[in-house]
Amino acid sequence: MSQERGTRIEQPETMAQTDREILKVVEVSKSFEGVRALEQVSFGVTTGHIKALIGPNGAGKTTLLNVIDGLLEPDYGHVYFHGQDLVGMETHKIAFLGLSRTFQLIRLFTVNNATVLDNVMLGAHKTLQPTVSGALFFRPRTARQEKAVREKAMEALAFVGLEWAANMLPNVLSFGNQRLLELARSLMSLPELLLLDEPASGLNDAEVERFMQLLSDIRRRGITILLVEHNMKLVMNVSDDIVVLDFGRRLAEGEPAAICANPQVIEAYLGACMDNGDSR
Amino acid sequence: MNELSALVQFFFSGLTSGSVYALIAVSLVIVYKVSLLICFAQGEFFVIGALTMVTLTTKGLPMPLAFVLSVLISTIVGALVERVLIRPIQNSSVGSLIVMTIAISLALKGLALLIWGKESHILQPFSAGKPIHVLGATLQPQVLWIIGITIVALLVIWFFFEKTTLGIAMRACAENRLGASLMGISTQKAAIFSWAWGSGIGALAGMAVAPLLFMQYSSGLMPMVKGFIAMSIGGLASIAGAVIAGYLLGLVEAYTIGLISSQFADTIVFTLLIIVLVFKPSGLFGATRSREV
Amino acid sequence: MKALGRFWWIIVLAFIAFYPPTLGGMSAYKSGILIFVGIYIILAVSLDLLIGFAGQISVGHAAFFAIGAYVSGILTARYGASPVVALIAGMALSGAVAWVVGRPVLALKEYYLAMATLALNEIVVTLIIGLQWLTGGASGLRDVPAFSVPGFTFDNHVHYYYFVWAIVVLVVASTLAVTRSPFGRTLIAIHSDETAAKTFGIDCAGYKLRVYVLSAFYASLAGSLFAHYMGFLAPDDFGVLTSINILVMLYLGGIGTIYGPALGAVFLKVLPEVTYQFQDYELLMNGIILIIVLVFMPKGLFGILTNVRDRFFARGAR
Repeated sequence: MSQERGTRIEQPETMAQTDREILKVVEVSKSFEGVRALEQVSFGVTTGHIKALIGPNGAGKTTLLNVIDGLLEPDYGHVYFHGQDLVGMETHKIAFLGLSRTFQLIRLFTVNNATVLDNVMLGAHKTLQPTVSGALFFRPRTARQEKAVREKAMEALAFVGLEWAANMLPNVLSFGNQRLLELARSLMSLPELLLLDEPASGLNDAEVERFMQLLSDIRRRGITILLVEHNMKLVMNVSDDIVVLDFGRRLAEGEPAAICANPQVIEAYLGACMDNGDSR
Repeated sequence: MNELSALVQFFFSGLTSGSVYALIAVSLVIVYKVSLLICFAQGEFFVIGALTMVTLTTKGLPMPLAFVLSVLISTIVGALVERVLIRPIQNSSVGSLIVMTIAISLALKGLALLIWGKESHILQPFSAGKPIHVLGATLQPQVLWIIGITIVALLVIWFFFEKTTLGIAMRACAENRLGASLMGISTQKAAIFSWAWGSGIGALAGMAVAPLLFMQYSSGLMPMVKGFIAMSIGGLASIAGAVIAGYLLGLVEAYTIGLISSQFADTIVFTLLIIVLVFKPSGLFGATRSREV
Repeated sequence: MKALGRFWWIIVLAFIAFYPPTLGGMSAYKSGILIFVGIYIILAVSLDLLIGFAGQISVGHAAFFAIGAYVSGILTARYGASPVVALIAGMALSGAVAWVVGRPVLALKEYYLAMATLALNEIVVTLIIGLQWLTGGASGLRDVPAFSVPGFTFDNHVHYYYFVWAIVVLVVASTLAVTRSPFGRTLIAIHSDETAAKTFGIDCAGYKLRVYVLSAFYASLAGSLFAHYMGFLAPDDFGVLTSINILVMLYLGGIGTIYGPALGAVFLKVLPEVTYQFQDYELLMNGIILIIVLVFMPKGLFGILTNVRDRFFARGAR
């Protein structure tokens, strides 16, 4: 899964990005009309890991994802992906570098009877990059590409267990299945780093179990995941490390066991971490 | 002396059209603030008000009565339109709402065509009188009426929205729909009233300026668009901004017509609209928009 | 019966092919009506790409209709250019204008976009009226010759009918191809959720611009065909009202379906001919039709037809 790498930027010693960190967030700050959403947040994501980003509601987690993804520009700070600063880049260009993302609210493509399969195939936009002339004039190469993408899309649907729904409309799917559809779609862009925003919210226990399995499978494929989640059972089970945000600040960072034991974290957010339930 | 009188003439003409644009802009803002809709049909109320008054006066009604009746009729039409056509689809997409107001404008224009035909109509000035001469420029007494009516209308609007319960309730709706309805304010009543205000003021503008123009069924588009330009420049949701921008637009247009070119004045105005929309969509007085996520 | 559901288009094509000698009675007037219908079909389906698929509301499509018509008219009537060359020149100018204004204008949302496209339409019309020495101004442009290709002139309306409809069929086929292609799928993504689309690498601004230019090409083509049919151009035919009429066709027929807007164009152009002959009623009727469609049948005529088809023709015999 080789992706084109961005240009390397020289790092000062103190902020050295190791080859093992695919993403490095450095001193990111963002205010909205006087309210500090993020304040000097710094952390790194090790390549191949699943890192969870947790914290109480309003802590700035989604804002941080939006900054990483280019949907929001921070007031200060940098976001390094393979050494390249993403701040200031447009979202669609960031996507080409190897980032993919899901949202808290379900955002499926539904206009004009777009099907489940259409949605998943759209995930592969980077591969197809369709043009008008491609639509008007037949070329065997484009037809082959389209066919290959269709096959890959069916594979992705099979991976999440939705191949039976390929020609259905997304809104007839259950909520949990819609989430799975989003996951399949985001895998189609062959990401190196997957940003997931509360993917398990609204899922029942069985669905969460299923999801955990899928996340492990994805990690086994070599994809790094940054996961925003409230479901502590999920977080504790799949994460390699955790970073905790509170009031826009990084409160703690480390391995799950350490985070659980951290008194500040417990006070701010977790209560009884061993509860293994939803921490909300 | 000649040049000065020309400049003064342009000033008067700018004041005249500025009053019209200000009123229309304000009517658009009122509807927008409460219903988050931009009423494409505003120009039709402008025309209907004016033409209704023409019909009523030609039928022999005394002018003040015709005036009041015309405003009333337009207000009722506006309220009816909201209740019957807008409310059923109020939760549709913005696109559908835009097209609905376009449809309403089309239907009203068609109705006006059937009722009043293709001819131009002219209304008697509100008071008989000779033109006044100021610094070599002519000022029609009707212009004083227009400015007077505008001032009175703005005062009434100010009073209504600042001092009356219903007005304050409507402002609450504009600022926070959910909160207002939780407080027991009927958002639907507010919507009807906002349309009533909108159509009434639009009609008022049409009636005030009718003696100076030839009005026909299709005369509504231009004032509406220029009212929208003023509304955009003024900050979309600001009544004060709309007024200031309306007069600014009127003056700029008058001086452009007079000093630069009358043939391309409209072209320049429309280009100005695109420039305003592209570079500062929230207007000169509105808050800057943050990027949406 | 199932065959009817799948091959209805053959019937339509046959109708188009055999209309003039049969129902049309070889009359110039009757062919003329269908020539108008054809031109408006081109306008409607091209606008559907923009509104129905890319989700960009435009109230100024007639601007490009005007550019195509006047470029063709001026170049052929005043400078004796070949109509084919003039047609291409018109498309080039329309495309260029769309390219230049497209990026800033399409970045606007909803009302602002509607207003900006309206403003653009009005700018084109006011320029046409103002540049009297070039366009004939408000009194119009006269003596536009019939369309001709080297070796043949379409001065017979029946001949021109076949020429226009050949083009209409091509236009409809090509727009269908666009909507069913990956490009069309991308437009749907942009229409559904621009933010999400961006995260998949979709350059929304770029795609919107491309569709805008494409729709401008088609509208300009329609304009040129119109100019050579009418022989005379007046700025009144290209104003915001025309743009709005095209919009009515779109919604009446069923937005986002290509077939729908084509149907809407037929309906709206033929209806006045068979019922209310008075032009004065047209405005009111269009408004009322649009209102009814928006409230009661948002999927338009095509939506109704598909429902009927699904109920009676799908799933084998009853």
